[in-house]
Amino acid sequence: MRFYLQKVLFYVVALWFAVTLNFLIPRLMPGNPVDVLISKMGAAGQPVTPATRKALEIQLGTGGGGNWFGQYGQYLNDLIHGNLGVSLVNYPATVTHVIGQALPWTIALIGLSTVIAFLLGVGLGMFAGWRRGSWLDNLIPATTVLQAVPYFWLALILVLFLTRWHQWFPYAGGYDVASTMPGVSLRFVGSAIYYGFLPACTIVISSIGGWMLGMRNMMVATLSEDYVVAAEAKGLRPRRVRLTYAARNAVLPSLSGFAISLGFVVAGSIVTEQVFSYPGVGQLLWTSVSNNDYALMQGIFLVISLSVLAANLIVDLLYALIDPRTRARA
Amino acid sequence: MPSVAPSPGRTSIAALLPSRSPKLVVGLAIAGVIIAWAIVGPFLVRDPNAISTDWFAHPSAAHWLGTNQTGQDVWSQLAYGTRGSLIIGFVVGIIATVFSGVFGVLGGYIGGAVDEGFALFTNVVLVIPGLPLVIVIGNYVPQNHRGLLLIALVLTITSWAGSARVLRAVTLSLRNRDYVAASRVSGEKTWRILVVEILPNLVPVMASQFVFAIIFAILGEAGLSFLGLGANGTFTLGTMLFQAYNDLALTQGAWWWFVPPGLMIALFGAALSLINFSIDEIINPKLRNSTRAARRKWGLTAAQIHRLEQENLK
Amino acid sequence: MSLSKKRLFLGATALAAAAALVLTGCSSDGSSGNSSGGATTITLFNGSVGNFTENFNPLLSTGAELQPSQGVLYETLFYYNMARAQKPVPVLGTAYSWNADGTQLTITTRSGVTWTDGQPFTAKDVAFTFTLFQKNPGLNTTGATWTATATNDNTVVLTFPSTSFTLEPQLLGNMAMVPEHIWSKIADPAKETNTSPVGTGPYKLKSFSAQSYVLTRNPTYWGTGDEAPKVENVRYISLANADAATSALESGQIDWMGSYLPTLKNIIKQHPNLSYVNTPDSVTDIVACSNAALGCTGPQTDPAVRQAIYYAMDRTQLNTQAVAGFAEPASAALLVPSVNGDNIVDQANASLPQTADVAKAKSVLEAAGWKLGGNGYYSKGGQELDLSVNVVTGWTDYDTDCTLLQGQLKPAGIKLSVNQVAQNAWSQAEVSGKFQLSLNSINPGASPSPYFIYNNYLSTSNTAKAGESATTNVSRYSNPTVDAAIKDVASTNDPAKQKVDYGVIQAQIVKDMPYIPIYVNQALTQFNNSRATGWPTQDNLYAFPEPWKAWDNGIVLKAIRPAKG
Repeated sequence: MRFYLQKVLFYVVALWFAVTLNFLIPRLMPGNPVDVLISKMGAAGQPVTPATRKALEIQLGTGGGGNWFGQYGQYLNDLIHGNLGVSLVNYPATVTHVIGQALPWTIALIGLSTVIAFLLGVGLGMFAGWRRGSWLDNLIPATTVLQAVPYFWLALILVLFLTRWHQWFPYAGGYDVASTMPGVSLRFVGSAIYYGFLPACTIVISSIGGWMLGMRNMMVATLSEDYVVAAEAKGLRPRRVRLTYAARNAVLPSLSGFAISLGFVVAGSIVTEQVFSYPGVGQLLWTSVSNNDYALMQGIFLVISLSVLAANLIVDLLYALIDPRTRARA
Repeated sequence: MPSVAPSPGRTSIAALLPSRSPKLVVGLAIAGVIIAWAIVGPFLVRDPNAISTDWFAHPSAAHWLGTNQTGQDVWSQLAYGTRGSLIIGFVVGIIATVFSGVFGVLGGYIGGAVDEGFALFTNVVLVIPGLPLVIVIGNYVPQNHRGLLLIALVLTITSWAGSARVLRAVTLSLRNRDYVAASRVSGEKTWRILVVEILPNLVPVMASQFVFAIIFAILGEAGLSFLGLGANGTFTLGTMLFQAYNDLALTQGAWWWFVPPGLMIALFGAALSLINFSIDEIINPKLRNSTRAARRKWGLTAAQIHRLEQENLK
Repeated sequence: MSLSKKRLFLGATALAAAAALVLTGCSSDGSSGNSSGGATTITLFNGSVGNFTENFNPLLSTGAELQPSQGVLYETLFYYNMARAQKPVPVLGTAYSWNADGTQLTITTRSGVTWTDGQPFTAKDVAFTFTLFQKNPGLNTTGATWTATATNDNTVVLTFPSTSFTLEPQLLGNMAMVPEHIWSKIADPAKETNTSPVGTGPYKLKSFSAQSYVLTRNPTYWGTGDEAPKVENVRYISLANADAATSALESGQIDWMGSYLPTLKNIIKQHPNLSYVNTPDSVTDIVACSNAALGCTGPQTDPAVRQAIYYAMDRTQLNTQAVAGFAEPASAALLVPSVNGDNIVDQANASLPQTADVAKAKSVLEAAGWKLGGNGYYSKGGQELDLSVNVVTGWTDYDTDCTLLQGQLKPAGIKLSVNQVAQNAWSQAEVSGKFQLSLNSINPGASPSPYFIYNNYLSTSNTAKAGESATTNVSRYSNPTVDAAIKDVASTNDPAKQKVDYGVIQAQIVKDMPYIPIYVNQALTQFNNSRATGWPTQDNLYAFPEPWKAWDNGIVLKAIRPAKG
């Protein structure tokens, strides 16, 4: 009971913390959206006069309003009713609509490649740990070098080689806009996979090493546990020992790491989407920050916080499934 | 029961080092050279800010790594950049280790409400998305104050919590060990138990975390810079990469501007990874010598197996 | 128990294998064609980043409206070409005239125009639109008041409470005309997203998705011959960075875009189908927070320091290394010589020193009492000549300018430190007057007339104390002589009289130098001539050629025609 209480307390506090931080952050940032808009209008050759500022303030409904305490109450109330407000950059589109357009792309690309990197890494790490000293095992130090390479550096070099020098992959976008429209069609899905392949590869390449190393080390450690030794001595089939006895226990620490990285899918997408002009939440976050679009920023932070918490929750549940000791404690 | 892993116990670090580890030697050598270069390099090269009309010059005797868009010497910038990045790395490493130590070790040892509070705080920080926070802090602090140290601080905030969680778990298991209990019973002071009994056992873990925090910080700095949120007015490898990217160095064929800073980060990161491998082997001697082939040689007797099975059932 | 574990691992391997299969299987599938069927489709990149949000409301000015709303889907009464000195071109209006004191504007509207839903366009729609702006102060970026009445089907009369000559380009050239029969039913035009736009423009909306949208030729467009749209479809796409834009151009997937590409000349050489135009756009300048009386602080409040910077910079090097030589010489009068050369009164102010004159810079400083210190920098009254310049991170050419300026000013004993800031922080600093120097450009107003530049950037009414928001005169410049001259310009529409006032203003700003001009910023536009031809050229700038420029877009899209063959 105490265990569950602690967990619930954790989720409540974390949620409150995230939501409150969300509220504070935009209010602590410099500049206001109207200034940015005016400097952009000027640069785009549109006439700007003192009246322009007033007009824009009216259009966007900015210009103060209430103290922070009142705003906080209003904010919480809006949140509960699922009202994230109106995006200023995309005025008068709602934040929900704008995020909704971008989120599927990010989840599909970054989410899927995180999962692939995890599965591949854990799988390879399992075999490397099982067969210590094999070529696979000796490869592990090399993969960690890939992890030490700045992600965008590697990605940009790959882009140069594979999309400019050799035009094997598209240089930008989520799908071929000229030949297909989003929808459930083979052509669209194929196009989306083709366009997502290179970005996905860069993510897998740069993150697989960590999973491999972690799993391999846990595997080695687990394999020398007494129960594994016993299982082997009993003459169980190696495959059974490897999977049921060793890997299942060895994967536990990686799982919690996986949860954290799943939660950071949205946040981590900024750089990838910037390099590949991918139409996801990362780019959205970037435009919202540079345009002081508070409502949109808050919405994206909320999505990030919620996805991190949700990922944690899933892992807590998964743990209970895989590791009976967790349930016993409860 | 066969003694598989000698308890790391209370031996000195030197004795723990794997007898011969090419990984450690190579790692230390590369990292050493780069650190030495970061310290000495800036004194040997010319002014990295000096502009010239000899722009986008190919690498030559005059400019070992060519020049950039404004005719500045890339080799000189690399020296200053390496120094900047390493300063960030080490500052973050040190502060994050102290933070994680306080929240992980202290909390774990004291236990009770303090521990619960610390653990809750750690977990909450862990789920707060770091990057947006960093973007916001980076935006909030006026640019002219956004030096190396601020970037380091921002990176620290997002990097200590994971380590603290691990340290807490290790501390929890240590504080229940017999020899710690014995010290407690014999009336030793809390701080003495912490410093003398517990900390030495945590050193390898913390060392590994320290090394990891450095890699994380250097990569994190590069990432922030790439998004235009890097240090202002000082050279780091990240700001170099950002400038090179922004001026389309690769598109314009000026690989000598874009490639070296990234390689430098990769090289240093790889060296630290190799060191971490060796530290892992210290923490976990099983990683060193318990191949399955070795384990087969232990040759368990039937009686041992039976006893193991009995223990497993418990 | 054992079941769940098996499911986990089996599922895992299956997923990995499936993903690998799908990925490898599809990676070989080929590239995309750009033309669908026989109709010509051109692709246009106007600088959009990320997803499009559907919004075709031409009355907005927040940037939320998709850019072709203004000029391609909807049209103004007249078109003002900012790329060269040229009379307003009739669009939905055919003629206009002012009364003598500038309080009444009579406009003749075009007959035979229909909205894309088949209804006729009349003067009533025009009067309705002008009244709509009056009823919605949020949409009225001019801030002015007027009444609009349609006296017959082809005539609209606007009446103003005071002399309003200067409103002309905004009213005639910057307000989209919308149909009364649709917009009279819209409760709040400022919140309208107008997803099925009905306009008079040469194109109408064909399809929309968040990654791309397509416009198609308006078959009932009023223009004929040269004035009629000839290319069937126009596709708009978004890209996130200059690398992607370069790739898009080189691979022939984009027909029209406007990006600064340093390697442009090389690209054009390698791709015979591509061409480019370099249009004078605006004067790049160092804005100084110049007015100590309005709260500016720092050495740059001394005009001598601003003069010294003016002489110490090497504009040739800045042009060569920051913008690959694409910039043109600017004028000390802050005007673009190729557009407004006639309005520069004293020819001495028509050009700028192109090389560094360190000796001159030093003598200016010394005459003002600055003393050269042992560290190589000047100081005066214990204050070192140590300045900071704000520049937006990632605005490549500006960033390079600042790095170069730092090096160029050093020999003249001026210490410059560069603050690279995000755009929001940069504009915030300028607007609130909390900066010393800032790299920016002098943007023209609604028409090429110098009035808009001088009124926006120099007039006291457009500034504020440091710490308060200044709209456009961020330098905090305030000079009664200049204010009087600006007021005088607005009271007449006689170019000869205005020119006298311009001369007065120019003499003042050359002396005071609140904005230190560098060069005329380039606007580089790239075209692919394989699918469409007839783009603007260096010799025939019939419109400002940038694809992000409102109103000009429609003019260009009308002018181009499918390439033969």
